[in-house]
Amino acid sequence: MGLNESFRLPPPFAEAVQIHERAIMRYLVRMTSDRDDALDLFQETWLRAYRAYPQLKSADGLKPWLYRIATNLCRNRARDNLRRSRVLTPAGDTGDADTVAAPAHAGWDGVIHIKRIVAKLPEKQRSALVMRKFGGLDYGEIGAALGCSNESARASVFKAMKKLETAK
Amino acid sequence: MKVVNSMRQLDRALTDTGPSDAIVDGLLRKAHAQLERKFAIMRRPEVAVGAFASALGPLMIAEGSRGLVLVHYMDCGDTDRQLEKLRQKFDPIKDPRAVEPVVREIKRLLEGNTGALTRKVDLSLVDSDFRRDALQRLCEVPLGSVVTYQALAAATGAPNAQRAVGTAMATNPIPVYVPCHRVVRSDCMVGNYGGGPGRKIKLLRAEGFEIDRGQRLHGVLGDRSTKYYCRPECRSLQRANRNKLLMFADPALARRAGMRPCDLCRPDSGRESPAN
Repeated sequence: MGLNESFRLPPPFAEAVQIHERAIMRYLVRMTSDRDDALDLFQETWLRAYRAYPQLKSADGLKPWLYRIATNLCRNRARDNLRRSRVLTPAGDTGDADTVAAPAHAGWDGVIHIKRIVAKLPEKQRSALVMRKFGGLDYGEIGAALGCSNESARASVFKAMKKLETAK
Repeated sequence: MKVVNSMRQLDRALTDTGPSDAIVDGLLRKAHAQLERKFAIMRRPEVAVGAFASALGPLMIAEGSRGLVLVHYMDCGDTDRQLEKLRQKFDPIKDPRAVEPVVREIKRLLEGNTGALTRKVDLSLVDSDFRRDALQRLCEVPLGSVVTYQALAAATGAPNAQRAVGTAMATNPIPVYVPCHRVVRSDCMVGNYGGGPGRKIKLLRAEGFEIDRGQRLHGVLGDRSTKYYCRPECRSLQRANRNKLLMFADPALARRAGMRPCDLCRPDSGRESPAN
């Protein structure tokens, strides 16, 4: 029926959850390095997404839009953590690198090494790298998720890769 | 060559650093249990949406478990805007088959079947209490009769608000089912309509009204307080309370509403009015 194609709706929310929840969870686990945090942010992401879902215009923007919410929440969480750790340890040590190095089940040194380098990347480069290499987003989508141009997204991924390479 | 090689190694190493499927599954399971509870509080009800070429032109229809939510003339007004408003309160799902019976009901109504509309309506999409009140009052106007904007305003409790009532009718989310076509001007002209006056005339004719080329309605006027009905030109109407008048398409309908014919103009005796 032609008329029914004349208007467009994003998929029902439950469907959107089904399609994207794994990717978002993986993204958050990589971005936070702490599983409880990831779990927390995962829920927050979907609650926020649900609340704002009526504002989303079409299905095309859905993926980067979800990543954008997740990224913003990660950013907020990192900022809050930093503030809290400043209060607790006034010496100025953020303790961020320690939590990353902590996993004791080090199967392969290289893995830990890379994890540590990824964790130390600037936030934008880290997000871009994770989205590109593990989320399978294209540069346009990464740009939309990070609120920058698609060239800038490409540059962020490239810089991140460069750092990983030189550090190896 | 060396660069490609090391890049590939790097890619592999990066993949290895990610969480395993088992870990992600575990986390998802935990999250689902907690999310389910939080969603239950804020969930928007689902509605089925479909678009059809109907006897009244292209219609978009949305229906939920509590009744019809939206009937929209797609060639009049902004369809995207309507969808946006719908999504603020509901989770719409494209499911034309679920709302198709509505189109069939409307078709039967236009074929003259006066009992065709059986669906319940859900006025959730109405923005203000006044407008909801006006639309609810309007639902009491039976098929085969019309009220004026002014009389409806008086019934809603604001006798000077005929213009606001006009706006309430113009923004009626469920035309046809909430019969905003049964509100006309005080001079018995059809007046305007959200889907264009042509559709209003079509609907009123299907409900038994005679409408001439100058868009004037013909029928008898019934007074709800005295329980008499008259021809529109009867002089007894000069003293009648205009806010209590209903117009009927047919004297039989007025009698069915419990009214008696006026002794002055004798509305039942043929088409010509006796000289008065």
